[in-house]
Amino acid sequence: MNISRNAMEVATALVTALVGALICYGAMENGIGWTESGPKPGYFPFGIGCLIVAGSVATLVQVGWKSMAARPAGEADSLVPFIDGQGLRTLAAFFLPIAVMTAISFWLGLYIGMALYIFYAMRFAAGFRIHNALLTAIIVVAVNFVVFEKLFMVPLLKGPILEYFGIY
Amino acid sequence: MGNFGQLMDGFAIALTTQHVMIMVLGVLLGLVVGVLPGLGAPNGVSLLLPLTFTMDPISAIILLTSMYWGALFGGSTTSILFNIPGEPSSVATTFDGHPMAKQGEAVRALTLAFTSAGIGALVGVLVITLLSSWVANFALRFGSPEYFAVYFMAFASFIGMAGSSPFKTLVSIMLGFAVATVGMDTISGEGRLTFGLGELSNGISFLIVVIGLFGIGELLLTIDEGYKFEGVKAKLKLSTIFRTLAEMPRYWVTIVRSALIGCWMGITPGGPTAASFMSYALGRRFSRRGKYFGKGEPEGIVAPETADHSAGSCALLPMLALGVPGSATAAVMMGGLMIWGLNPGPMLFSTRPDFVWGLIASMYAGNLIAVVLVLATVPLFAFILRAPFTVVGPLIAIICVIGAYTVANHMFDIWLALIFGIVGYAFKKLDYPLAPFVLAVVLGDKAEDAFRQSMLSSGGSLNIFFETPLVATMMAIGFLLLLLPFIGRLFGALLGKGNAAEARDGRPA
Repeated sequence: MNISRNAMEVATALVTALVGALICYGAMENGIGWTESGPKPGYFPFGIGCLIVAGSVATLVQVGWKSMAARPAGEADSLVPFIDGQGLRTLAAFFLPIAVMTAISFWLGLYIGMALYIFYAMRFAAGFRIHNALLTAIIVVAVNFVVFEKLFMVPLLKGPILEYFGIY
Repeated sequence: MGNFGQLMDGFAIALTTQHVMIMVLGVLLGLVVGVLPGLGAPNGVSLLLPLTFTMDPISAIILLTSMYWGALFGGSTTSILFNIPGEPSSVATTFDGHPMAKQGEAVRALTLAFTSAGIGALVGVLVITLLSSWVANFALRFGSPEYFAVYFMAFASFIGMAGSSPFKTLVSIMLGFAVATVGMDTISGEGRLTFGLGELSNGISFLIVVIGLFGIGELLLTIDEGYKFEGVKAKLKLSTIFRTLAEMPRYWVTIVRSALIGCWMGITPGGPTAASFMSYALGRRFSRRGKYFGKGEPEGIVAPETADHSAGSCALLPMLALGVPGSATAAVMMGGLMIWGLNPGPMLFSTRPDFVWGLIASMYAGNLIAVVLVLATVPLFAFILRAPFTVVGPLIAIICVIGAYTVANHMFDIWLALIFGIVGYAFKKLDYPLAPFVLAVVLGDKAEDAFRQSMLSSGGSLNIFFETPLVATMMAIGFLLLLLPFIGRLFGALLGKGNAAEARDGRPA
């Protein structure tokens, strides 16, 4: 699956325009007008939302203009790829485990999420042997535990398993 | 020269063995905090603050400010070696610092950064020494319209000097402002743009945005480009350091210009982030080698670093003299001052001169210590650079995730950071500038407050921004900057049309 740069430009501008519209909508709930004591809380965000929509539309026009201009000249510009299928897969292989780790951490705490993620990444992405990957995961968790719980005294989310073992 | 005598008294306080030890400790902690993205200076200082309650105020403020210097220097280190700014204010350093490091001149880039940072900081402290009592009087004239004009100028310069499309810059800035308005409104107390999500009612911290856009976004981009951390031989050779030091006088114009920008932006609440970007943009405009900026140009490192650090130190000036912090970190420190029972503001100079001048003297010493220590820790970071990216990548990802969590101990913030990561990746690839986004998030509340307070005092008339010569001049400069790309394009279009017409006329009919 190849995504061209032009398609991505248009998609991004549409998304930002949508976000702008959403901001305008959200701001209207706070009131965008004036009272005796000055602007209502939604006044400033509403203006921001409008400017986002305007900027996005202008970007769309600019992209359209450029691809129209490029078309007679051999369509070179409109076919510049943004990302190809291979790149997309590599990207997902890196990003999805992080998202999975976050979801697991919600449930089992950050230390366990972190350990599983590091083990997975070292074993499968970096190609470590199982015991080396395991060792790396343990070291990372230990270092983080000392740094955050002991040095900076910022407790990270523990989750039910660590709490069962009396680690708060 | 009354200030000079007081400064000497200050040195007598700051240069005791105990205080020098505290400076070393503070700088080392700051380096760690500055190197880790997500554990930035404001964050690190707030983490350390509770430990200082039992200390005497002078030792405490020396510890916190030294940590601040360390964090500023540490932020530059990762900017150059990893292309990951440890601090929003060191984002501009990545533009030329990282390309230079990739070309195998990591030590030169680091030395350039640290020495110009050191010079910038010393200029900043010098300005504090000379102006601290005088500046209070000048800045007292600043009302909310003037503050708004300062912000306006900063953002207009982004649009005017942007390398990419001005519309994309506009979208980027405004999205940043929108992020800043999420959560409780400071004036009315209403929740804004939360869309019924309780997690959003406390707002979105700029640290989350930075971790997402720059930390995770940059990781994704690195994966996408297939770039591996190559074993850059960043061996710390003394000869390279001295050769680079000898190179410094060549950039004196850039240094002077950047230091001036830094001092101005630090004293007015533009802050170090705005200062470093403005200095970089102006450097690109005015340098003879401006077109090489972004490809590892020495001046592209010197300009933002000098401005960053002179602004960083000058940001403490309004905090001390007026009680108005010039940066997020200064705001945290000001909270500390009040907890220690000191009242920041003009009165502090007469009630606790030992505190004020001890602190100012410690800034000179602290920055010198920071330059030495940061150079000494370079081999450590160069060592990390040799590891393959498949190993380093996940570790950075862990740091980003935990960093996002520790900002406010919210799991929800991690999801936000991941979303901002995707946004950062797409924006960076499509040439949307990210820096103005972050700056808008940081300054959003202040800019809005300034705007609304001006509107309140004028009864809704925009004329307030043009009433006094001071504010009118600043607004005029802002508009000029804003229109720069359009004026340029207009001229370009006219010239282009002229050429096309000539070509048509020249063609045989």
